[in-house]
Amino acid sequence: MLHKNKNWIIGILITLIIFGIPIALVAIPRAASQKIDNPRANLPQHPVPTDHSGFFADADFKTGQEVTEACLACHPDAGKEMLKNNHFTWTHKYDISEVPGVHDNVLGLGDEVLTGKKYVLNNFCITVKPNWPACTACHAGYGWADDAFNFDDPNNIDCLACHDNTGYYVKAKTGVPAKSVDLVDIAKHVGNPTRLNCGTCHFRGGGGDAVKHGDLDNSLINPTRELDVHMGGEDMVCTDCHRAEHHVMKGRSISVSLDDENQAHCTDCHSQTPHQDDRLDMHTRTVACQTCHIPTFARKEATKTYWDWSQAGKDLPITNPHEYLKIKGKFVYERDVVPTYAWYNGVVADRYLIGDKFDPSKELALNPPAGDINDPNAKIFPFKVHHATQPYDKQYDILLTPHTFGPGGYWSDFDWDKALRAGAEAFGLPYSGDYGFARTAMYWPTTHMVAPKEDALQCNACHTPDGSPGRLDWKALGYEGDPMIYGSRKINLETANANPGGQQ
Amino acid sequence: MMHHGFKRYIGLATLVLILALVTLGTASAQPSPIHPTFPLLDENGVNVLESGNPVSVMKTCGGCHDADLIESHSFHSQVGLNHMYPAGQAPSGRPWDTSKGLFGLWDPITYRYLSPLGDKTIDLTTADWIKVYGSHHAGGGPAVTSREGLPLKDLPVSADNPETSTVNPETGKLEAWDWKKSGAVEDNCFLCHMPDPNNEARIETLEKGEFGWASTATLLGTGIVLPKADGEGMTYNKDAFDDQGNLKKDVLPLQSPSSDNCGQCHGKVQTDVTTALTYADFSDADWTTQRTGQIFSGQRISDSALNIAGKSKLKRSWDVHAERNLKCTDCHYAINNPAYYEPPKELNPKHLTFEPRRPDIADYLQKPLHEFARGAVTKDEVGATFTESMRRCESCHDYKSTHTWLPYEDRHAQKLSCEACHIPTMHATAIQQNDWTVINKEGKGVLTYRGVGGDGNPRNPNNLMAGYNPILLPRYDTEGNAKLAPFNLVSSWYWVYGDPARPVRQMDLKKAFFDNQGDYKAEIIAAFDTNGDRRLSAAELRIDNDAKENAVRAQLEALGLANPRIQAEVQPYSISHNATWGQYSTRDCKSCHSDDSRVSQSLLLASYTPGGVTPALVGDVNMEATGDLVPGAHGELYYQPSTAKEGLYLPGHDRVKWIDWLGILMMLGVFAGVFVHGGLRIIASAHNAATHHGRTRKLYLYTFYERLWHWTQALAIIMLILTGTVIHRPDLFGAFDLGAMVPVHNALGFLLLFNAFFALFYFLAGHTVQQFLPEPKGFFHQALQQAMFYGRGIFKGEPHPFEKNEKRKMNPLQQMTYLVILNVLLPLQIITGILIWGAQRWPALSDAIGGLRYIAPFHTLIAWSFAAFVIMHMYLTTTGHTPLAAVEGMITGWEEVEVEEDDHSNEITV
Repeated sequence: MLHKNKNWIIGILITLIIFGIPIALVAIPRAASQKIDNPRANLPQHPVPTDHSGFFADADFKTGQEVTEACLACHPDAGKEMLKNNHFTWTHKYDISEVPGVHDNVLGLGDEVLTGKKYVLNNFCITVKPNWPACTACHAGYGWADDAFNFDDPNNIDCLACHDNTGYYVKAKTGVPAKSVDLVDIAKHVGNPTRLNCGTCHFRGGGGDAVKHGDLDNSLINPTRELDVHMGGEDMVCTDCHRAEHHVMKGRSISVSLDDENQAHCTDCHSQTPHQDDRLDMHTRTVACQTCHIPTFARKEATKTYWDWSQAGKDLPITNPHEYLKIKGKFVYERDVVPTYAWYNGVVADRYLIGDKFDPSKELALNPPAGDINDPNAKIFPFKVHHATQPYDKQYDILLTPHTFGPGGYWSDFDWDKALRAGAEAFGLPYSGDYGFARTAMYWPTTHMVAPKEDALQCNACHTPDGSPGRLDWKALGYEGDPMIYGSRKINLETANANPGGQQ
Repeated sequence: MMHHGFKRYIGLATLVLILALVTLGTASAQPSPIHPTFPLLDENGVNVLESGNPVSVMKTCGGCHDADLIESHSFHSQVGLNHMYPAGQAPSGRPWDTSKGLFGLWDPITYRYLSPLGDKTIDLTTADWIKVYGSHHAGGGPAVTSREGLPLKDLPVSADNPETSTVNPETGKLEAWDWKKSGAVEDNCFLCHMPDPNNEARIETLEKGEFGWASTATLLGTGIVLPKADGEGMTYNKDAFDDQGNLKKDVLPLQSPSSDNCGQCHGKVQTDVTTALTYADFSDADWTTQRTGQIFSGQRISDSALNIAGKSKLKRSWDVHAERNLKCTDCHYAINNPAYYEPPKELNPKHLTFEPRRPDIADYLQKPLHEFARGAVTKDEVGATFTESMRRCESCHDYKSTHTWLPYEDRHAQKLSCEACHIPTMHATAIQQNDWTVINKEGKGVLTYRGVGGDGNPRNPNNLMAGYNPILLPRYDTEGNAKLAPFNLVSSWYWVYGDPARPVRQMDLKKAFFDNQGDYKAEIIAAFDTNGDRRLSAAELRIDNDAKENAVRAQLEALGLANPRIQAEVQPYSISHNATWGQYSTRDCKSCHSDDSRVSQSLLLASYTPGGVTPALVGDVNMEATGDLVPGAHGELYYQPSTAKEGLYLPGHDRVKWIDWLGILMMLGVFAGVFVHGGLRIIASAHNAATHHGRTRKLYLYTFYERLWHWTQALAIIMLILTGTVIHRPDLFGAFDLGAMVPVHNALGFLLLFNAFFALFYFLAGHTVQQFLPEPKGFFHQALQQAMFYGRGIFKGEPHPFEKNEKRKMNPLQQMTYLVILNVLLPLQIITGILIWGAQRWPALSDAIGGLRYIAPFHTLIAWSFAAFVIMHMYLTTTGHTPLAAVEGMITGWEEVEVEEDDHSNEITV
């Protein structure tokens, strides 16, 4: 019987081989001719959150700290991790050798340089200190109101800002929960961070929806595919790309960071040569994905592109808060903006540090991207550039850090001298009393709101048949002319990093 | 009188001048930085600053370039003058055509025609032709030289000569035309070599008959020439010239022609893709766009401001080559341009792959031939010598490397032009029907557009533009190979009169239709106004009954036109622009390989047929219209292409009906036989309880290889039938991927072939082949005996007439059947299969015996026979000792067979 069965098996096997081989021979090349690039396969699997609704039956949380204490009772590691986390410390420590650019600093730079939101200056509301309560409403902690805030107490960590899944959690000034929030109910409904959790702060940076980033705003809470192919088309959440390990999120932005360690890249999911077209694939050696796939930024909501602090304090007959506010000055908001393109290797070429002297006769770039045509790690990358005029000391040629929010601040008293003096004192900056307004620019990498592929730039956006200006100024980028005619850059790209240019 | 009306220029020109001066140096196009400055000369070679005369381009540019050579080697100038025919002998076949170009080849859409010399009634004299068609003529050629080859200015002025006269539009009489006074229209270099030539001013000058000033008017707006303050004529601006009388640098930038230059005459070209395309961008002067819907623009269709159906999804550009920065001149280059020119491969000796000898760049700049490379356009115009001189798709694209997904890619390339799939749909409108049997209130024929809804007006933004699918028709290349290519077919109806026939002049049509006030005549209203509102609606203004036709005919006869009659023709326009890439191309197998095939998709020729006249294809075209004109239910007319008449056989679309019916009948017959015979056997076995229970024994009948051979063959045939059915009728088996079935079918076919070879070798080498060969002696008798058994004995439980043993495994009927199956049907099926498969690599082989049209149906017929055989064979295996004995035998090798009573060789073979 066994012998008989064996014959059957052999017979079927032989038949299978006889038929399988020729059919496979014709079928495999056909299947292989269809290139396989499946970025979805690289998406992370998020843990299914534990249902917390059965917990905290007897709890009566009065403060955020009490909630955190309850959280840490079961998640003690989370507390340790978060005490060192950027979202809590707003601080990054660099060795002086890691800081790019030449710095003639009136405060004098030690061996260590502190950056991060806590220590750098921008050209929006300028500095956190001494305006804490307004800024720290977006701090992942509770009660940061002055220099005395305890960064070592794990109970000061705000777990709910990122883990609330009800959508009803609201932070007030200094980051404490708003009075109306039912902390017990929120605590019972925690889970993985949603787009709303991240967006509550990141979509509203700069004090309102869409102000700061050109590529992050409230429209991403429920985006369409046309607006964002990842979050709209695939319903992805922030943490699909900004993957967290021990609460450390992948991702860097040159608005605050000097390095590009642990950067999130397009190539985390997509191949380096994802196009069905060799010519397009060749572009990926010099052009970042974002350059073609984010044809314009602020596609839905207008973003601030210019802020003139020098006009503040006037009683102008302008009622549109997107054009003028007495406390802040004049603004320009733009929608559907063609980005500014520059070589970019993932880090800054320079970073204005508080106390740095500068040349006020020229526009000061606070964080110019590093890279040029000869840098094998650099690619052409799209930026939102935010221009501003902001206060500086005419004697010392340093940018000043006004005290704006709170009693005695500029927003209360409209007294520049007082505000600047108070701000200078807070940072230990010299202040001559002779202030003016300097022109500054800030670079914001455009990397979200990736359009569907059919809306990506076409050849003729940059390469024009008659030499008329396209999106890229070839000469300014260092080319002889349109590389379609003059050829691409002649450098050895073999030495380039696997993920050059950052944020690819 | 010549400078009358220049006032209109002043405002515009001043504005343009200011703009030009502001933007000087930042001009959008790229002027040649190496072109030297030069003086503007008049026809006597005198600087125009001194003479104030019109600029002579021939003298000005001729200072360095060989202007005479350029003008005489340019079909944009000659437009047919260098290939004139006596009336009636032109290849187009129309009795009034005298050339193959704009000067003498009639276009029924623009309608006005150059009257052949010798005609008594004149529509257009040479001067009139310039006024009407000069807008689309670069100058030179017939605008300078007479049909006899003499300078027009040297001809004796005579009102009787159509070359030195003009038709008075009021009286219709010829009046003398003094070329010396009007000047001739020189070949206008500026028109194509300036970034922003003033074509409107040029055309206006031509229409007014101020021919000599046309080139100068092209410069209006540059600041070089200004309209005179009093509005009479033009004057030169000294500020644009330097002290030596040369033009200042950058005042007149010159360049290789941009696509915008070409677009001035040829059709809609859009180079600035950041501004949405709007209706205002189109005009009736965009001839190619109007006739085919082709728009040369790299803008995404979704970004246009046109009301196009499904626009938001149309993320493709209008033209992929425009999108990818090709200019017109990249394909249509001057044929001695050393950067582009390469002699056709067949002119090179075999050992050469590249011909490095070519004109020096300096020679070229001096003597650039203005014959431009061109493709296989339908209207074989004046550059026939240069047809297909340009780079074709295949010159730049490697078809093979991008079509690996396509089965039979060679076969597809043999029968299809690239455009056939890559120009699947025209998203803009195009003319469908051109009816000059009536005229509208503007005195023009009635145009009907395809691809637009609503009131049919292509410029009305409320009308949804659905576009149209161009019809696929065989187009011949220079080697005479026909490939399917996309076309628009425009049909025209018009009145002719006399013998030889001439179209009724537009002037006469107006006289026939309108009274002195320019209103429709009472007689016309009476015949055409069907609803009695004294007005003619679009539906009424068409000759759809005899009364209307007779009314117009009576009016034409009253004008003295002899035998006025309606004629109609179809003009094909091939479409080579507006290609798109893979995603938007026709690429689904079933788009063509199905009943509803793209290849046989019909095209609406006309929504009505004026006078009931059926149009005929015009002569001298490089395509074939083998299809049928099919009238629709409401008086419309369709063109229905036919794959059979085009010599094509499309698997999945084409099939011979009677073969399929025969096959189905064959199958039904077999099934019926099996059911009847099997049913009777069951009944009989119930009645015949005492069936013959002869002795049986088990014999090892089939060796391992024989069984393997049998089952491989069986499985292969069944799978071939199944995959073949899908290929034959993909419309019935939509779940299967046709593109995958075809290679699998081929692989199985080769498997069958190899299996047959191995088996043949096995049986021959092992001397066991005789089991298949019937013994001639007594064969007929034995076959009859076996047939009698199946017909009678089997029901009575009689033993099989022939004992089955190792020597004799088959009965005579089996032997005969297998002989036919294995030696006739199988080889035939394999050979026809190989021919079909090989049509791709060795098309000559299958074409030699009639092509797939004959081979494929034959293959189908044999496939049906195989299917019938398989059923019959499966049934007959049940007629052994027990119903499953034979199957078991073929699986294990051992079969239980009956032993004849008188057989004494009782040994059991184990």
